[in-house]
Amino acid sequence: MDTSDFGRFSDPALLILASLAGGEKHGYAMMEDIEAMTGVHLGPGTLYGALSRLEQSGMIQALPADERRRPYQLTTRGTAFLRQYLASLKKFVYMGLMRLGA
Amino acid sequence: MRMDKVRPWLTSLYPRLWRDRYAAEFDVLLEQCLQSPLDVVDVFLGAVDAHLQLLNGENLGWRMMNMLNKLRTTILMVFAAFIGFIVAGFSLVGLADDSPMIPLMKTNPALSAAWTTIQIGAFVALLAVVIGGLPLALTVVRRALAGDRHGRRLLLVPVFSFLALVLYLGFVFLVATGRIQIPGVVRVVQPGNFPPGNRLMLEGLMLVFILGAIASTMAVWKAISATDIEQETFYAVGRSLTVKIYKFAFVPAVITTLAMLVMLVATITWGWLSFSSLPQVFAGNFGPWGTSTQAWFFGILVLMVVCAMAALFGLRRGLPARTKQNLPNQ
Repeated sequence: MDTSDFGRFSDPALLILASLAGGEKHGYAMMEDIEAMTGVHLGPGTLYGALSRLEQSGMIQALPADERRRPYQLTTRGTAFLRQYLASLKKFVYMGLMRLGA
Repeated sequence: MRMDKVRPWLTSLYPRLWRDRYAAEFDVLLEQCLQSPLDVVDVFLGAVDAHLQLLNGENLGWRMMNMLNKLRTTILMVFAAFIGFIVAGFSLVGLADDSPMIPLMKTNPALSAAWTTIQIGAFVALLAVVIGGLPLALTVVRRALAGDRHGRRLLLVPVFSFLALVLYLGFVFLVATGRIQIPGVVRVVQPGNFPPGNRLMLEGLMLVFILGAIASTMAVWKAISATDIEQETFYAVGRSLTVKIYKFAFVPAVITTLAMLVMLVATITWGWLSFSSLPQVFAGNFGPWGTSTQAWFFGILVLMVVCAMAALFGLRRGLPARTKQNLPNQ
């Protein structure tokens, strides 16, 4: 599984995974967290498009509904995927900065 | 643009399978964050994307989750129908009790056979519900004890309903044994003499029983609906056993429904034989509170038919889901 599997939702999927890395959240809490963390505003359609794909791929799982809101949490698979992706990104950032002489 | 008017329409743009899974939570999100026309466009694009996913054969997960929902609804419908049947069954016992039909059953083998069939049907249905419902009940209780406060509150409803019934029965027992004396209530009711005080006590008992049954059924329904678990592992005497709880409950649900159908036919037969032998009883007032026997019997039949039909409808709805294998775990 790589991020291209999430189609136009690749970035939202990563943002959701990063948000859930901080603990379980429902949809609106994720939107607020992502906006606070990155300044990116995810629309509700984009958020749930990515959520449904992440859930289907086993990266995240739904928890029992709290009233009508349903929280989600990272699965082991999702955690491993995010860790691996961020590690490769870190390597890429390091290499890029090295070449820029920063 | 009035967002609260647009919201239901926007959700309806998504495929039905998607809505079955996400509509409730998505609607809450839209209530909170749908503010600008850009958000509306975003939701519209999300709906188009969801349709494309289905056309591409993606998102088998929704289908499977939908199957799980159907199977769960089937089990719940049969359970609710069974509770309705219990109410009808107790009403039938109340009708026959102390009526001339009881002595008649001792001399009429066909009538006695019909009555025995009802009793056997009731036993089989109860056994099937207990066996099929046990893993489900344990799962819901385990979930509730593990920290689901809402689930815990819901499960207290049947407990309190049962306690209320026991307390009321205890009160009736104390009155019947003369330990408590209430003006206007007699200890032993004579045929043809049903004082208003006794009538009130009986009405109270029926009210506690019926309201408790309705409240408990609704609470259990809600608690189970909120349980998304498809399978659960149980540990006993050093061994573990994983049960697909809804699939496991399906065969007992079929048996319960068949038992209800058998009881329905046996009740109709019993009523017909009783009517043929003792038409004066059916024309009389042997119902609770001295009400019409015919009216009570037909009321019981209507309740049984409605419950049996609901259970059959539930099974028909869940049968395709039962045949699907490997539902995803959540």
